Amino acid sequence: MSGPELLLWARGPGLQFAVAIFLFGLLVRFVELWLLGRKTDLSEARAHPMGPGLRTVLSRSVPMPGALKHAPLVFLGGYIFHFGFLVTLLFYVPHIHFLRSILGFGWPGLPPFLIDVLGLVTIATLIALLVQRFTDPVRRFLTRTDDYVAWTVTFLPLLSGYAAFHRLGTDYTTMLALHILSVELLLIVIPFTKLMHMFTFMLARWYNGAIAGRKGVRV
Amino acid sequence: MNGLDQIGVRVVTAPDDAAPSYVPALLREIEALLAELVASGRNGRIDLRSLPLLPGDDARLAALLGEGEVDAALEVTGGTRVRETGVAGVWWVTHANADGETVAEFIEVTLVPEILKTHPQDVRVGLTHLRARLAEQMQEGESDGE
Amino acid sequence: MANNETVGETLASRGVSRRSFLKFCATMTSLLALPPGMAEVMAETLARTRRQSVIWLSFQECTGCTESLTRSHSPTLESLLFDAISLDYHHTLQAAAGDAAERARTTAMKDNAGKYLVIVDGSIPLKDGGVYSTIAGHSNLDMLKETAAGAAAIIAVGTCATYGGLPHAKPNPTGAVAVSDIIKDKPIVNVPGCPPIATVMTGVVAHFLTLGTLPELDSLGRPKVFFGDTIHDRCYRRPFYDQGKFAKTFDDEGARNGWCLYELGCKGPTTHNACATVKWNGGVSFPIESGHPCLGCSEPNFWDAGSFYQALSTKTLPLSAHAGAALAIGATVGAAVGLASRAKKKAAVGKHARVTADELEKGGGA
Repeated sequence: MSGPELLLWARGPGLQFAVAIFLFGLLVRFVELWLLGRKTDLSEARAHPMGPGLRTVLSRSVPMPGALKHAPLVFLGGYIFHFGFLVTLLFYVPHIHFLRSILGFGWPGLPPFLIDVLGLVTIATLIALLVQRFTDPVRRFLTRTDDYVAWTVTFLPLLSGYAAFHRLGTDYTTMLALHILSVELLLIVIPFTKLMHMFTFMLARWYNGAIAGRKGVRV
Repeated sequence: MNGLDQIGVRVVTAPDDAAPSYVPALLREIEALLAELVASGRNGRIDLRSLPLLPGDDARLAALLGEGEVDAALEVTGGTRVRETGVAGVWWVTHANADGETVAEFIEVTLVPEILKTHPQDVRVGLTHLRARLAEQMQEGESDGE
Repeated sequence: MANNETVGETLASRGVSRRSFLKFCATMTSLLALPPGMAEVMAETLARTRRQSVIWLSFQECTGCTESLTRSHSPTLESLLFDAISLDYHHTLQAAAGDAAERARTTAMKDNAGKYLVIVDGSIPLKDGGVYSTIAGHSNLDMLKETAAGAAAIIAVGTCATYGGLPHAKPNPTGAVAVSDIIKDKPIVNVPGCPPIATVMTGVVAHFLTLGTLPELDSLGRPKVFFGDTIHDRCYRRPFYDQGKFAKTFDDEGARNGWCLYELGCKGPTTHNACATVKWNGGVSFPIESGHPCLGCSEPNFWDAGSFYQALSTKTLPLSAHAGAALAIGATVGAAVGLASRAKKKAAVGKHARVTADELEKGGGA
């Protein structure tokens, strides 16, 4: 397939396919989660669980004391990566246009050179985190295939986007097509790996806060 | 109706003493071609449009080469201007189309640019025409005179 | 078709001076990025050669390519090209019609077997035996195959001939295809564009006439000298793109200040053509300079590549149907999986063995 053909497929049927699998997977996970449910708590509630639940969703964004000293790379790398990934995704003008074509509305973007620098920092951070995963014996012991897959499908859109932006690799049309395809791969993989945390982190935090809050305990 | 000049594009002109100008390198090339012309009589030509000249480089080059004694205006499917620069043997040829837009520009290092010369074949054709015209005049003269 | 004349003789008879011709050749060498000294060689060679026989086949086209080539102001340098060739067959430009025209074509093919140049504009419809475009009772397919058999080379001019173009766009009711989809055994140069720039068309023909070879081609068969760069690579509005200054509508402040047209749908980044450097109408302007985003007209399937006015990063096909189906099926499967998991959990709970404190004490120990 030539560059232009690949790009057209990625922007057309490829996206339809990827979005379909993504939504299918999300629904399967969420509905199963909801149906599994929780055991009814027969004790008397000391407080309504919703408020504490919601508060914990926000409060858990601040890590526990001593985290920086205990695991500085994970602490800083985690923040930098997530911040960088989200900002390059949401505030680069071509991305905003893509989202506008789906959502129907857009928002102002950041200057491209800022996105460029942030993208590079994010890529470097991801590589550093992977290196730590390899070199630290405990982390390596704990790492499974799912972790490597999740890292790779997250890394590829960043790398291919940076390469396309800077006209690296082969011709631009093909690089752009590869970038869009890498994003489609990410979409397909998300619901079936730990990358679901992008949605479930809110549920998990809420749940922790809610069950404790119901008992009158603040976490 | 807005003119093209109302599209607010700001062109950055490199200041006169700025480092990255192509002109010094170009002058060296002209020097090399001129030396070649002196040594072996071989002509040279530089296509100015193929070079990444900065805005203002044209003027800078023209100023450095100076003006010579010859300034020829040709009418060949649009205007063409052939000027000898202040450096003998270095000619500046500008080709324009019928609307006056420049379509090609060359520096020619030669004794006289090809386009100024008359082709021998054309001379033969010219001779034939002249002879025909003279013959006509003769006939008219005969019919008038008598 | 006096193609026994040399080009030089034809020029002389039409009153085109040698100097005009030399000027034309100088301009061509510059345009084709050939060594500047080639101009005289080109002029001498061309003057002495027999006028190249050219057969122009117009198939499923709008004649825009011919218009682009001939609609330049006259007399221009490009029109000199018509003096250097013997255009033995061209629907719009020839004087003959009907059988006489077809005879002109077949005679030229016979007289110049193996040496004539074929220029094709328009796509070739294949559906239903090719009835959707016929000339003198012959389908375009038949005429192309017949004419290409004895050709030295084929130049496919315009996006229709190079990629199928507009007729090829969804749903392609006539089964339109490109020249290169049919002819596989002859050298083909693709000169796409809707229409292509006149100087680009002339340059390719001039290259063949004077050097006897075709220019260096890229992976899609396009001359690299004209199609090597994208519009975006050479666009004068690039600084605005790099600074993130985009026009949002056609008449806003940004548009009037000449800002980048990416948000208005410019396909410049993925379009290979010479518009940004060679420009149109003898170098006057090109679409972006006139305030309109690039359509991407020299790329394959540009008609089906999403809206001309939606940015390059947007989707080209609707998602709602697929999304709806995915949500519905996902919910169903999720429910099935969820209920199955619940049943499994309940069964596991049911299988829990009951233990009393006494049993534990007896069995355990300390």
